[in-house]
Amino acid sequence: MGRRFKLLIDRNAEFELDLAPLLAVMVKLVPVLLLSSAFVQMMIIETDLPQVVQEAIKKQEADPNAASISVAVTTKEGVKITLTEKGKAHIEVVGLGQDKQIDYPALHAKFVELKKSHPAIFKIDIQPDEDVAYKDVVKVMDEARKARAKDLKFPVKDEKSGKESTTEYMFPEIVFGNTMDG
Amino acid sequence: MPTRTRFKVPVKRSQSFGLNITSMTDMFTILLVFLLQSFAAGEVQIDPAEGVRLPQSMTEKNPVDGARVSVSAKEIKFDQKVVALIKDNKIDSAALDAHDNQFIKPLFDELKKLNTENEKLAKTGKVLLQADQDLPYATLRKIMYTASMAGFPNLKLVTTVGN
Repeated sequence: MGRRFKLLIDRNAEFELDLAPLLAVMVKLVPVLLLSSAFVQMMIIETDLPQVVQEAIKKQEADPNAASISVAVTTKEGVKITLTEKGKAHIEVVGLGQDKQIDYPALHAKFVELKKSHPAIFKIDIQPDEDVAYKDVVKVMDEARKARAKDLKFPVKDEKSGKESTTEYMFPEIVFGNTMDG
Repeated sequence: MPTRTRFKVPVKRSQSFGLNITSMTDMFTILLVFLLQSFAAGEVQIDPAEGVRLPQSMTEKNPVDGARVSVSAKEIKFDQKVVALIKDNKIDSAALDAHDNQFIKPLFDELKKLNTENEKLAKTGKVLLQADQDLPYATLRKIMYTASMAGFPNLKLVTTVGN
């Protein structure tokens, strides 16, 4: 009776993986990616909005008696928010902090409060003073555009379907109101 | 006198050795992952303008194409061409119109030229503005005013990602 042939396998044997081709690919890929990488990520501020919000802005523009908000940014007094409703102007001021800088958390809270009381307003006018730094204008726009709290949503009505929906945007369309002034 | 022979280190010149590249591969893998993450996949590539420190913003909108205007503390550029000089945060009076001090004539001319050269881009009316964060609004207002007069009212403010 013949004995069955047994393949001799050394289970403790070690082998070395040839990483040279992998390394060669990486050496070529790294310079390509280095050249096309953007280390400073740049974004833009514009007014491209979801459809429902855009329709709400059109509705606001179509009604001349609708409430409107104007934001004046000054280096001496801080930010002056003027809410004009039914011909009456209601002014609120967010002053400067101890470091002579605009109190941004207080400003954001004021915008949230305004949005809660006037959910139909999506467009505001911003009127910075001549000596206000560009970075401060951008910060004020940031505070007005979107709610910082993730769970904070505002009601918005879809004019086409009539359905109520929510948005995290507060005042997404910001217009420089004093650009064309002399 | 017996001569002394110099000691020779026994070197096998035909000897080969295996280079351990495992750690190098590890390093490249990490580098590759990092680079893939920061790979710019946007439709429009904006080159940072020289001498311009952009403000930070929370906006999440990727850049779009438009007329490119950059403003540093020293000059206003349209694409790469210097159109006006700035000194002490004020635009050089030579670049301003004599009857309207908000109007930057050389910038207006360049934007008007773009209207004929690149009609498709001009129709969008978009201006990509890269401005230094410390510039006063008065300087920017003149650029906005001029761009608006030249038929570019859609202002896109370029910012860096921040909190």
